[in-house]
Amino acid sequence: MSTSVSQVDVPEVEVQEGLWAAIREVLHERTAMVGLVILAAFVLMAVFAPLLSPYDVHVASCGVFDPPSAKHWLGCDDGGIDMLSLVITGGRISMIVGFAATLVAMTIGGGVGLASGYFGGWVDVVLMRITDYFLVIPDLVLMIVISAVWGPSLSHVVIVIGILLWTSTARVLRAQVKSVRERVYVKRAQSLGASHLRIIVRHVLPQVGPLLIANTVLTIAVAVFDETALAFLGLSDPTATTWGTVMEHAFDRTAVSAGAWWAIVPAGVSVALVIMGCYLFGQSIEDALNPRLKVAHLSPRSWRLRTLVGRGPDAL
Amino acid sequence: MTADLATAPLLEVAGLHVWFELPGGRELHAVQDVALTLEAGQRVGLVGESGSGKTTTALTIMGLLPSSAAAAGRVAVRGEDLMPGLENGFRSHRWTDIAMVFQGAMNAFNPVRTVGWQIAEPMIAHGTATGSAAKARVAELLELVGIPAAAATRYPHEFSGGMRQRAAIAMALACEPKILLADEPTTALDVMVQAQILDLLTRLCGDLGLALLLVTHDLGVVAQTCDDVAVMYAGEIVERGRIDALFHDAEHPYTRALFAATPDLYGDEPVASIPGSPPDLARPVVGCAYRPRCPLAFAPCVDVRPVLAPVSATTATPPGTQPLTEPLTEPSTEPARHLVACHAASSARAT
Amino acid sequence: MRGSDYLVKRSAFAVITVFVAITINFFLFRVLPGDAVSNLARIPTATPELRHALRVQFGLDKSAWEQYWLYLGQLLHGNLGISFANQQPVRDNLVTALGNTVPMVAIGTVVAIVIGILTGVLSAVRRHTVADHVSTNLAIAFYAFPTQFLGMMLLILFAGLLPSAGMSDPFALGDVSFGSHLADLAKHMVLPAATLALTLYGENTLIVRSAMLETLGEDHVLTARAKGLSRRAIIRKHALRNAMLPTVTMIGLSLGSIVSGAILIEVIFSWPGIGSALYQAVLQRDYPMLQGGFLVITVTVILLNFVADLAYFRLDPRITS
Repeated sequence: MSTSVSQVDVPEVEVQEGLWAAIREVLHERTAMVGLVILAAFVLMAVFAPLLSPYDVHVASCGVFDPPSAKHWLGCDDGGIDMLSLVITGGRISMIVGFAATLVAMTIGGGVGLASGYFGGWVDVVLMRITDYFLVIPDLVLMIVISAVWGPSLSHVVIVIGILLWTSTARVLRAQVKSVRERVYVKRAQSLGASHLRIIVRHVLPQVGPLLIANTVLTIAVAVFDETALAFLGLSDPTATTWGTVMEHAFDRTAVSAGAWWAIVPAGVSVALVIMGCYLFGQSIEDALNPRLKVAHLSPRSWRLRTLVGRGPDAL
Repeated sequence: MTADLATAPLLEVAGLHVWFELPGGRELHAVQDVALTLEAGQRVGLVGESGSGKTTTALTIMGLLPSSAAAAGRVAVRGEDLMPGLENGFRSHRWTDIAMVFQGAMNAFNPVRTVGWQIAEPMIAHGTATGSAAKARVAELLELVGIPAAAATRYPHEFSGGMRQRAAIAMALACEPKILLADEPTTALDVMVQAQILDLLTRLCGDLGLALLLVTHDLGVVAQTCDDVAVMYAGEIVERGRIDALFHDAEHPYTRALFAATPDLYGDEPVASIPGSPPDLARPVVGCAYRPRCPLAFAPCVDVRPVLAPVSATTATPPGTQPLTEPLTEPSTEPARHLVACHAASSARAT
Repeated sequence: MRGSDYLVKRSAFAVITVFVAITINFFLFRVLPGDAVSNLARIPTATPELRHALRVQFGLDKSAWEQYWLYLGQLLHGNLGISFANQQPVRDNLVTALGNTVPMVAIGTVVAIVIGILTGVLSAVRRHTVADHVSTNLAIAFYAFPTQFLGMMLLILFAGLLPSAGMSDPFALGDVSFGSHLADLAKHMVLPAATLALTLYGENTLIVRSAMLETLGEDHVLTARAKGLSRRAIIRKHALRNAMLPTVTMIGLSLGSIVSGAILIEVIFSWPGIGSALYQAVLQRDYPMLQGGFLVITVTVILLNFVADLAYFRLDPRITS
C-alpha cells in the first residue's frame, strides 16, 4: 500500500551523490585530513628518497651506535650507518611493498567481492565459503609458512601478503554490491541489454567506490605492518633496506642491550605513523558511510534551551 | 503565560521551536512556533510529509532531542513547564505522564530482551510496580491489547508485525500515562492490521481517558481515529481544526493537496501527488514556505510569512448545523476552532 | 529448530576449515613449485642418511594423491613427523611449546580484552569529549605500533628491572621450591604478556567503541530513553549487552592478530613457545616442525572461533528461535 505523499522515489543521481558526498564530508573532517597529510608526507618521502637521504646507506658515516647528534639527527646503527638515511631509504621500499601487496589484495578481494555480490547464486556461495576459510586461518602463520617454502625475497613478500589480505575487502564489497544491484536502475540497465561489464563499470563501481577507497587505505596499513613482521622473522630479502629489516637488524645486532633506542625508534615510529595515517583516513570514510554512527540516542550532555535570536516570527 | 494549575490543559505546547546544529555551523530549523493543547480523552492528529517536523514535535514533547539540538518555547504538563529542566527534567515525566508508541515497533524493542521484560522495565524504573506485581501487570497489559499473557517470555522477533505494534502499545501503557504519543503507529502494517491497531488506540483512549497525539503522514488514518487535526508544513502548523471541518472546508491549499493525495477507503481512485518538494529548512524561509508549490500564490506570499488565524465562523460552518455536531461535553475552547496560516485563504474570505 | 541448525552449521564449518587447513598444509609443502622437498638440498646439515630418511618420511616415491591419504592417516594417529633439528617427534616438541605459550598469551589477551572493553565503552558513551579523544587516539597509536617495536622499547625501558629473556632464571638452580619457581615464571612473563596486551588493547578498544556507538544509534535505545530510564541503566541494560554481539564476532576474527603478536613477542623475549618454535623451524628449515606448528596454531584458532560462535549463540536470542 502506498498512501504516502512522502514516498518519493529517490533519483539515481542522488544516491551516487550521497556516497561521494560522504567523501566530501570526510575531507572537511580534521582527523581524516590529519591522516591524509601523514600519508601524503610519507608518499612524498618515498618518491624523493634519494634526494632527501643525507648519507649513503651502504657506507659507514659515523661510529657504531652513535647517538643522535647535529650531524646525524637520528643517530647511527651498529655499522655506523646514518639512521635518518636508513629510514628514508627503507621507507621507499616498505611503501612500495605495502602498496604493491595492497594492489594484489585489492585485485583479488575486489574481484571476488564484485563477482560474489553481483552474480549471486552458486558463484556467491562458493566464493564466500572460500573467503570464510581464508578469514579464519591466521594470516601471519600462513605467510611464514609460504615465505619459508618459497625463500626470502621482496616479490615473495608482496605476493604472500597480497594473497592473504583480500578477505575483508571481498566481504565488505560483496555486501555493498548486493545492495546496489537490488536498486532499480541496475535492473533497468540490465533489461536494456547492457553487458555485465558495462553495468559493473558504469553503475556498480561508482557506488562502491568510496568504500573501496576506504578498504584500500586500511589494507595498506596491514600490508606495511605485515612486511615488518615478515622482515623481523627473517623472511624478507635480508639485503634490502626496509623499515622491517632495519628493525630486524637492530634487534639482531644487540641494539637492545646497547640501549640504542635510536636504532629502533625511527623505523618503528615511521611504520606507526603510516598505519595511523591509513587508519585515520580510511576509518573516517567508513564511518561517514555508516548511517548508524550518525545517530546518537544517548549523549553525555543534554540538548539546550535557548531563546530565539533572528529566526521565527520575532524576526519578522 | 502561566496558567492556573486547576484550569491548565493536560498538555500545552506553546511557541515551540527546535533547531539542529549541522556541520559547518549551519542550523536546521525543524520546528517553528508550534502550539498545541491536549485534554484528557482528546485525540489529535498531527499530519505532514516526512521532514515537516511532526516527529520532532512529538519527540520534543518527551524531551527526546539529540545533544546537537536546541529548543525554545514551552512544553507544559498540567501547567508545569518541563523545558527548563532539560533532559533530566523530562525524565521523571516520561512514561508516567507521557508515553510513546514508536514508528516501526521492530526496532523499538531491544532484540535481546524478552517482550515482558521490556514492558516491566519502566514500571521498575519508576517504582510503579515491582516483582510479581510487575509480572501481573505485564500479563494484564498484554491481555488488554489482545496478546496472550504467556507471550511475555518471548522475544520481539518471534512476534508478527501487528503483535509487535500491540506489544508496543502495551509497553506504552505500563506506567498509566495520561498522554499517549503515537508516531506512525501503523506504517508498514497491512490494511486489516492497521484498522485493528487504530481501533485499539481509539478504544484505549476512551476506556482509560488518555489524550492521544497521533503523528502520521496519512490523513486517512487521522480521519479514522482523531477528533482534531493539525497540519504541519516545513516545521509550522499551517492549518488546524476539527477533522470534519478540515475535510469539508480545508482552507490551506496544502491541506487540500494532502486530502487529494489520500486514497479513499477502497484505494481505487488514482492518487494525486503534490508536485515539488518542501523547502530546505537549513536556509531561512522568507514569506510563505509553501509558496513554490502553491497554485494560489500571489504577491504577499513572497515576503510576508502568514500566521495562524481563525477562519471566520460563517465560512467555516454554515449557521444552524453547528450545535448538532458539537458534543455536549466538548469544552468550546481552542482545539475546536478552525485556524489557518494562508494569505490566499484570508484574501478569499475578504473578497 | 533453527538454533540447532546454527550449531550444526558452525560445527561443520569448523571441521571443514580444519580440513582445508590440512590440505593447504599438505599442498604447500609437497606440490607447489619450490616446495620443501626440492629445497632439501638447502638444509645445511643434510647428510645422505638424513636425505634418505626424509624421502621415506615424505613418501616421495608415491603419487601426490597417495601421499595425501597417507598424510591424513598419519595425522589421525597424531603423527606429525620427526623434527629435523632435534630428531624428536614434532608432536612432543609442539606440546611442550604450546604449554609454554598458552599462559602468557592467555594473560596478555585477557588483559587486552578487559582494558579494551573498559576504554571502548568509556569512549563511546562519552563520544566527542576529551576523554573519548584521548582514549581513541591512544588506542589508534597502540594499534599502529609494530609489535616488535613495542617489545624492544619495553626491553630497553625495563632493562635490569625485569628479566628480558626466557621463562625462568637459568642460574636459580639451588632454590627449586614451587613457590619461588612460580614467582620467577611470573617475573619473566610480565614483559611479554604486557607487550601482547599493549599491542592488542588498541584494536579491541576501537572495535568495542564502534560496536557501542552503533548500538547507541539504534532505535531501541531511544525507546529506553523515552521510558525514563537513567543513562546508567540504558548503558548497562541495553547498550552493553547488545554491543557484546559485534564485539564477540570481531574479537573472534582478531584471533589472527593475537597469533601474530604472540609469534613476534616470543621471538623478541626468547619465550620457548610455539611462536619461537615456528621461528626456529624457519631458520633451520625444519619443515616437519613448520608444518606441525602451522597446523597446531591454525586448528587452535579455528577452535577458538568456534567458541566465539557458541558465545554468540548464547548472547543472541534471534539465533535460537
